[in-house]
Amino acid sequence: MHGNDVALTGVSMRFGDFTAVHPTDLVIRAGEFFSILGPSGCGKTTILRMISGFLDPSSGDIAIGGRSMNGIGPNRRPTALIFQNLALFPLMPVWENVAFGLEARGVKPAERRRRAEELLALVALDGQGHKKPTELSGGQRQRVAVARALAVEPAVLLLDEPLSALDLKLRQHMRAELKDIQRRTGVTFIYITHDQGEALTMSDRIAVMNAGRVEQVGTGDEIYDAPASPFVATFVGEQNAFQGRVAAVAGGIAAVDTALGRLQGRAGDGVAAGDAALLFVRPERVALTGAGDAGGANRIDAEVERRDLEGSFVNLFLRAGQHRIAVHLTNAGAGRDTVAGRHRVGFAPADALVMKAGEVARE
Amino acid sequence: MNELLRTYGRGLTSVFVLLTALWVLGLIVVPQLRMIERAFIVDKRGDEAALVATDIERAYARMFSVDQELLRGGAPAAPSAPSPFAPSPSARSPFAPSPSASGAGGGPAGTDAGRVAALEAEKAELARRIAELEAREAEIKSAGSPGYALGNFTGMSRIHAWIFVSTLFYALCVTVLSFVACYPVAYAVATARTGERLALMMLGLVIPYAINELLRIFSWVMILEKQGILNGVLDALGVIDMGAGEGVRFVASNGAVFVVMVYAYILFMVFPIYNTIETLDRNQIEAARDLGASTWRIHWRVVLPHAKPGIAVGAVMTFMLSAGSIAAPEIVGRGLHPDWFSQVIYRRFFESSNWNQGSAYALVLLVACVVFVMAVMKLFRVGIRDIAK
Amino acid sequence: MSAPSATSASPTPASTGRDWSETVLNVYLVVFFAYLFLPLMLMVAAAFNASPTPSVTDWQGFTLEWFRRLPQDQRFVQGLVHSLIIAAGVIVIALPLGLSGALVLTRLQSRATTSLYTVLVSPILTPGIVLGVTTMIFWRDSFGVEAGLFTAAVAQASFIASYCMLMFMARLQRQDRALEEAALDLGASPLLVFRRITLPFLMPTVITAAFISFLQSIENYNTTFFAIGSSWTLVTEIGSRMRFGLSPTVNAIGVLFVALTVVAAVVWVGARRREMARRVAG
Repeated sequence: MHGNDVALTGVSMRFGDFTAVHPTDLVIRAGEFFSILGPSGCGKTTILRMISGFLDPSSGDIAIGGRSMNGIGPNRRPTALIFQNLALFPLMPVWENVAFGLEARGVKPAERRRRAEELLALVALDGQGHKKPTELSGGQRQRVAVARALAVEPAVLLLDEPLSALDLKLRQHMRAELKDIQRRTGVTFIYITHDQGEALTMSDRIAVMNAGRVEQVGTGDEIYDAPASPFVATFVGEQNAFQGRVAAVAGGIAAVDTALGRLQGRAGDGVAAGDAALLFVRPERVALTGAGDAGGANRIDAEVERRDLEGSFVNLFLRAGQHRIAVHLTNAGAGRDTVAGRHRVGFAPADALVMKAGEVARE
Repeated sequence: MNELLRTYGRGLTSVFVLLTALWVLGLIVVPQLRMIERAFIVDKRGDEAALVATDIERAYARMFSVDQELLRGGAPAAPSAPSPFAPSPSARSPFAPSPSASGAGGGPAGTDAGRVAALEAEKAELARRIAELEAREAEIKSAGSPGYALGNFTGMSRIHAWIFVSTLFYALCVTVLSFVACYPVAYAVATARTGERLALMMLGLVIPYAINELLRIFSWVMILEKQGILNGVLDALGVIDMGAGEGVRFVASNGAVFVVMVYAYILFMVFPIYNTIETLDRNQIEAARDLGASTWRIHWRVVLPHAKPGIAVGAVMTFMLSAGSIAAPEIVGRGLHPDWFSQVIYRRFFESSNWNQGSAYALVLLVACVVFVMAVMKLFRVGIRDIAK
Repeated sequence: MSAPSATSASPTPASTGRDWSETVLNVYLVVFFAYLFLPLMLMVAAAFNASPTPSVTDWQGFTLEWFRRLPQDQRFVQGLVHSLIIAAGVIVIALPLGLSGALVLTRLQSRATTSLYTVLVSPILTPGIVLGVTTMIFWRDSFGVEAGLFTAAVAQASFIASYCMLMFMARLQRQDRALEEAALDLGASPLLVFRRITLPFLMPTVITAAFISFLQSIENYNTTFFAIGSSWTLVTEIGSRMRFGLSPTVNAIGVLFVALTVVAAVVWVGARRREMARRVAG
């Protein structure tokens, strides 16, 4: 459809003394499913409102398809916004909702109706056009909102946490649907969420935000395996984190002195000897070292505190000194009894990441 | 402003802003300023100017009829209706002489020549008088407005000042009495246990409230007047004998006006108080009672504080209506009791045409009301936003 | 609606105290409502009395004469016409002004908001005399327009617009701003947003406001009295009759007013009850 990159250059937003968004550069490529992930108050909604035109940036420029959007109002931008509460027009039937953007462009009523019905068919709502929004279910209303936005053939579709009000099953269903629609229409999706599962499942690329700053932009795998900051490391997925001081760095591996002894992991950017550091390792990369363990780096003796059976996998929580270590195991048939008591756990240095100490995501 | 522009665009926003400005200036601010301006312009000469103007008119009228007579060679005009060409003696002016009357002055007797001479002399005299009067008029006019002065206020007679104070005092009494009377009612309605009871009481309040104040006032006049019901009852009880012409003219007193005012404006307290008590969580009252509080304490500590905004609104409305009421003093025993302040204002405007003095008095009333509103807001610690429904 | 609290059956000291105060309250309520209604009923009764002066004590036989005379009374009929003309004028003036004021105040984000609000609400808190007088003075001094139907309409509009504004503001508070934003986002011009989103949302209030304005205009006395000059409305004419000489035709009109009011009140209270029930059930 429309190949228009969205480019933010030095965009920031200040409300009085408070900086909601620090100067940010961001490029969202045409046709991609891009998520902005972060906790509440991190500034992601602010960025969305700036791109859609409801908020004027305090500084910087927003360009869509190379054209600067400065001074252009929300009704003249090639963007369409799906609100958190959907904002369907309650006094109009569904087809009029969907056709509204066309009405605004002066399309004749008959033609409007036809295209509205087309779009409703696209989102599997054919035949529902005459109903009022209040007569539809949550999932159906979602789809009306999407159809309405697509009717104006936007270059960019902005979605503001659209699934947060839905229950789990519906959410999962809608995730698949939205992804499907995006693939079929090729419209650039910019998707705001605080749910990392959503972001990881649906997106081509993700930007992780915290306190007004974009901490990292990358694919799901990049974000997950190579987080750029302690915040990203802890916000996305589960982490075991060990505090300590870097003793030495050699061959890309950093040795960190922690309360549990010397641990080794991949050295992140700029990590040097003497730094206060955090060593991160994912629970699924930690293993119970059995009797036949050959020994090596990163071996810790710990006591099992709790075993949570989650069905196809098991989460083990062990305690070593002041530390709590989480281990994520597939339920491959290891019996209940074998897991109680003292154990030795270990992980490979290549599976751990050492970063300079910094802000981590709150629980 | 930005949000307005963003949502409604330049065109619509300017329409809305313009209309609002029009309202503020054209209907509220500027008219008030005009009245205030007038209040400070002393127009003592107003009366004199009016008299002089009338005299001039009279003189012209006489002059014209003299001319007419002269044209006819001295013969008096046939008695007829006043000529349509006479310089307009306005319908209201009692001074317009009818030509027939003036014609009769000379009398049919006397020679024509002698008559003509007399008329000529009169004409000359009139011309001189007119010149004198017009000079006087010009003098008054050119004296111009003596600038702003406090004359209208300082010139307020002691009687009027006394009327002003007593009107306010009565208004205050009406307000307090209304509160005392209405609070229990509002409370009862707000805490009504069944829907039917609530509906019935509501009906009982809405009907009298919605009936025009004139009718409420008039119904009491019927009770209080000489041929009225109260006297009828007293007559039946043998206290007085109506047949013998006895009968108390209740209406002929300020007290009667006061009683009628109470009846007319009492309900303006009920609804605001009801609205605020209704929002009180019933459980608070139950909890207080459960803790052993007496009825008095429950009201003083739980209900009344919650009802404060409602009381404030009710007090303001009742006071304002009572202080500015023209219907009650006018209808209850018209002319039989001393004027109330609203009547004083009325007379200034419509009976003696002294608009400036009337403005001054109206301004005084306005200031009194504003002071009252601000005092109530301070006392009850409510803001302007709470006052409006 | 909170469940009716049960009064305890056994007379403990606290509940006897409660019963006592309840009895007192009930007695008081009876007295109060009697006080409200008795005079009105007397006035209504007098309309059917053949006595040439309104009276209930001097009963001279039942008659409908005074009602018969009403349509022939030219001053009353003319007055009614004037009242309707003024009411129409008031609606035309007050509704747009009130709406504009409400929209500006709701959207304006500045420290001036409270001041503007105070100014726009002030006519409600101003004595009717002052409203009438200031209007009369302003139009005579600035435009040479004499007091009459026009000044009466303008004077009334100044405070009726305030009531309209309050009603619109209450409605606007409940508006979902996202709807207007969504419309804009979809490419609608501000005019389209207003026409298709905001106005339909406000329409119920427009109708209510028009109705309330009409009622308030028709039955207004104080302000109209001082701004109508030599003309008259139905209500000011009634006032004059009351002042200058009594005739039971006044009572007859009073009865009509009372009848209309009772009907309207019953309808209104009934509607409120249905609304409350619906709110509890829904």
